[in-house]
Parts: sequence; structure tokens; C-alpha cells
Amino acid sequence: MKRIVLILALLGFGLVCLQQRSYADKKMSHAEYAKMAIRECNDCHKGEGVSPNHDADFVRGHRVLASRAGNNCSQCHAQAWCLDCHQGGGSGDDLSQGNAGRDYKPKSHRSGWLQIHPIKAQDNQQQCYRCHDRKYCTACHSKLPQTGLKSLGFVSHRNLNTNTAADQVWGSEHGREARRNLQACQTCHEDGSVCKNCHSTKSISGGGVSPHPRGFKAGNYKDRSSGKVCLQCHLPGTF
Amino acid sequence: MTCKRLFCLLAGITAVLASTAAWSAEIHGRSSTQFAWFNDIFTGNKQAEFGEYLNLSVTKLDAAGKLSFQGYGRVTDDIRNGEGINGRLYYLYGDYSNLFDRVDIRLGRQFVNYAAGSALIDGGKIDLKNVGPVGFSVMGGRNVFFDLNGEATRSRDFAFGAAVYLNGYKNTDAELSYFLKLDNDGVARDQLGFSAKQYWNSFKGYVDTRFDLPSETFTELLLGVKYFPLADLVLTAEWYQSYPTFDSTSIYSIFAVDRYQETLVRADYTVNDKLSVNAGYTRQFYGEGNDASDVVELGCRIRPIDTVLLALNYDHNNGYGGNLNGGTAEVTYTPIKPLDLAAGFQYDVYAFDRSTGDETARKYWLGGKYRLARDMSASVRVEDNVNAQYKSDWRGRLVFNYDF
Repeated sequence: MKRIVLILALLGFGLVCLQQRSYADKKMSHAEYAKMAIRECNDCHKGEGVSPNHDADFVRGHRVLASRAGNNCSQCHAQAWCLDCHQGGGSGDDLSQGNAGRDYKPKSHRSGWLQIHPIKAQDNQQQCYRCHDRKYCTACHSKLPQTGLKSLGFVSHRNLNTNTAADQVWGSEHGREARRNLQACQTCHEDGSVCKNCHSTKSISGGGVSPHPRGFKAGNYKDRSSGKVCLQCHLPGTF
Repeated sequence: MTCKRLFCLLAGITAVLASTAAWSAEIHGRSSTQFAWFNDIFTGNKQAEFGEYLNLSVTKLDAAGKLSFQGYGRVTDDIRNGEGINGRLYYLYGDYSNLFDRVDIRLGRQFVNYAAGSALIDGGKIDLKNVGPVGFSVMGGRNVFFDLNGEATRSRDFAFGAAVYLNGYKNTDAELSYFLKLDNDGVARDQLGFSAKQYWNSFKGYVDTRFDLPSETFTELLLGVKYFPLADLVLTAEWYQSYPTFDSTSIYSIFAVDRYQETLVRADYTVNDKLSVNAGYTRQFYGEGNDASDVVELGCRIRPIDTVLLALNYDHNNGYGGNLNGGTAEVTYTPIKPLDLAAGFQYDVYAFDRSTGDETARKYWLGGKYRLARDMSASVRVEDNVNAQYKSDWRGRLVFNYDF
């Protein structure tokens, strides 16, 4: 306790000392340049060590620019500019912006996005959920037939229910595929009931194959859900 | 329903403020009236909808110009399938800035983005600034999210967060933040975030990460460096890792998952006003095996004459999960100043794995925009999709915008 108080006191003292400084080198406001063409930014920034940050890489890279509280995005952009993509919009008039349908489509969602998205969804698992809630995926995937998923590329689902060798493929492949893209499992099996058939200690088949990672922090999950998430597979008092 | 009421409120505020002649407040915004027709992928129905967007900014409500209101929302009405009126209120908040030259207060529906997490909230955000080299921010409220039918927030969906960030350093940015999301079953997410940028002469280094407290894992970690030897040339190198992440209250949160990694190198060069080019290569790694993908991206923007802009992009994705080769071509032509014409073509060849053959997907689009007056414009954009699902799928949107 004394150590924490000492650290806090030192931090407080440091802040007080730093407050005595003049912050004359504060970042300037760019609001008055909001309507300037991006290519003209370099008229000032040339040689200053400030890279052009609205280049062709902007869509991929803007997260780092925007993720700091107090950033200066709002000097040029209203929140509508963000939400037209992130929450579905919009009221702009940029002709190159894909706007067919109720919501805008980012440039990455090109040609037959419905057809090619399984390939793109293999990439960074976090990417889709920056704009879509998981229910967005489930709304479509829950309607898919439960057989014939070969075309979606899941090795584990190949020929499932059509021949006896399928179970062997399932057993060897589904774990590998699930670990790599568990979010894809959730899009069709929303409540995980199909997983619980084997992984729950309460399963009729007597499975109970542990799906937990090594070093699983069971207590953390138990605390956060008051045990509700544990009770899905474990009997009360057994976890 | 709440959404519709709030949108009415937004429209009401506009009417009241606009009719108050003696008021010194400035009201700006955009009214966008639209008609869209498309195939709804979720229902399979041909959809035809009228839409009205209202984007509103009310400023200078007080002598010092510290108080302002911002709002943005839409209402759509399906006229073909009887789905009726739908709406989204994206934001509607009041902003009071520079209280005691130290505090910014924002109340209402708003989008909040910290390094630890982002959310659309019905609540408040308070920033404390100008108290030295560090600024502070706290936010909290009802966590708003939408599904296909409108707002899907439940009774116990809340989001809270706090951030501390460097303030006043020209070459350094840093933020440490905490994000908490609650749902009906308890604490769905609680994570720490850290984001920092540092400029050194012609270099910029940056890091962006999220640490998930229940799993005690860095669920996202980005390290990158940009080097710009010339003002118009940017060279980028990045390494990124992530893990699939789920709400702690979901059964999926307790499963073992593999790490995804990618390394990227990229160059963006603006040769001159007529030409800019970019090229990038990404190596993606999946799990603990040797499975990986290679992604190559190439692009250029050419302006042969002042009135024409041509943009070309190509990318090639080969490896785990399938192969994808495709790109886009777009041209914009401005024959006279108030008129813009544009057209584009998108083409992809893809195969999910070696057991399926190549398939193609194409999209053609045309658009035109005419500025009727300084504050009025009309535009139309139509597209046709040809792919495994549709032999022909015409969609489009007509837009009339009025800026005030």
C-alpha cells in the first residue's frame, strides 16, 4: 500500500512540475484548412517529418490516426463522416462511393462481395466486427442449409452426412479450422449448441472434451458472467 | 420506435431553431432526399425505398460559441414490400466546450472512439484538458447498436470507458484507455488499449494494441513504421497480430483460438499532379502450421487532363482460404464545372479451395452529379452485378441534396 501511495505521489509531483512548463508547441488547429485539397497539405508539411496521412492507404491505416482521444479528426470531419461507413449511411455525393442498397459499401466490398467475402473473412478476424455486429452475419448464415457446405471451403464440413468417412474428416479438421476462424463457426451456430454436443460435460454422449486453451483463466469468465457462461457446459458446483 | 421519436425530435429542433428569427444561432446541415432500389440479400426481395437523411449542426448558441448541437439520422420507407418505415439516429448531442478553458462536455447519442474500444452511446463524455501534458477523458452510457430492422439495444447494454492521453506534444501522441461493455449476462468486454505515435525527422513509428482482461491476451497488436524520404513518398512496414475475440458472456469466449499474424510492406508515391502510384505486399500467417497467404496490391491514379481522373487497383490473394484475383477501374469526367460523370468496373476471379473451380464476379456502375446551385445538387448512381448469384442485378440510388 505504501508503495502505491509513493508511486501516486511521485506521479502527482511529476504532473505538477510538468504543468509549470509552457506548452507553446501545442498542435495547431487544422480547422481552417478543412476544405483544402489533400495534395496541398504538403505545401506546409514538406520536410517537417509529418507524412501525408490521407493517402491511398487511408482506409486501412486511419484507425491508428483516429484511435486517440482528443485527436484532431473533428476539426475537418463531423461524426457523420465516420458513421456513414461504420454504421451504414449516408448522405454524401461522392460518385465513386458504392451506395447501392440501404447502406454504403467500403471499397473493399467490391464486385460480388457476397461471393468473395469468405476469402476476405479469413484475414484479420477483428476487421468485420469494426462495422458489423455478429448478428449481421448470423442473419444470413443461419438460413444456409446444414449440408453441402463444400463450396464455402470448410474441409471439416465436406461431405458431412453423405458418407461414413466424413466423421473422420470432421474429427481431424474441425478443431484446426475452428481455432483459426472461430467467428466463422459462430455465424451459423450462433449459440454454440453444436459444439456442446461433444465439449460439454453435460453432453448425452458423455463427451466433455475440453475446448479451453492452455492456461485458461476460468475464474475471469466466471466472475464476469456470474457463472452463466460456465453453466452452459458444467453442472453447478463442478467448476 | 425510440429511434423514430428521436429523429422527429431532430427535425423539430431544426424547425424551431430555423423559425426563431431573432436568434443569433447558426444552423447548418444537409437534407438528403433519396430513392434507392436494390435486391435485399437477406429477404431476396426487390426493394424500393424512399429515404430522408438530415444532418444538422447548430452553433453559436451563446456569445462565446461554446455550446453547439449536432445531429444526424435517417428515415427510410419501403414502398414495395410493405415493410414500412425504418430509421436510424446516428447521433444527437449537445457539446459544451472549454468550460473554464479546461473541460469539454458532450451529452446525448454520440460515437466514442478510444484505443481500447469504440461505441455509439446514449450518454455522456467529458474531456479534461489544458491541465498539463496529459488530458483525461471519460465516457459512459447505453450501448447502441443496430441490426437489420433498426435498433437492437437491450435493457442492460451499456458501455463505459476512460482514457488518459498526452496533450501538447508536437511529435508525440499516446493514449492509454479502458473500455467496458455490459450486456444482459454481465461484463461482455473489458479491455485496455494503448496507442502511440512518434515522429522522428523522416520517420514515424506507431503502436496500437488492445489487451483483453478476461483472457489476459493482447488480442490486437500493431507495430509499424513509416519512412518518407520525400514529401510525396511514403514507405510503410507493419507487423500485426490478432486473436478471435468474443464477449465474455458468449460460450465462444472459452474456446482455444489461434493467433493470426500479418507483415506488410507498402509504398505510396505521388509522382506529380498527374500521377500517383502505390504497391504493397502482405504475408498472412494462420495458426501454428505453415498455412499462409500472400496478398499483393497495386494501384495508380492518373489525371491525363484536368477534367479526367482514372483510378486503377489490382489485388491478388493466394493461399489459405482460397485464391482471389481482381481489381477495379474507375473514371471521373468533369465536362463542365457543375457536372461530374463517372463510371467503373470491378472484376474478380476467385476459388475457395482446390476442389472448386474458378468463378467470376463483375460489377459495372455509372453515375452522374449535377450541382443545381451553390447549395443544391442531384446525383444518380446505378450498378449491375453479374456473379454466381445473379445474371443481372440492377441497383441504384437517386439523391437530391440541399445544404443549408
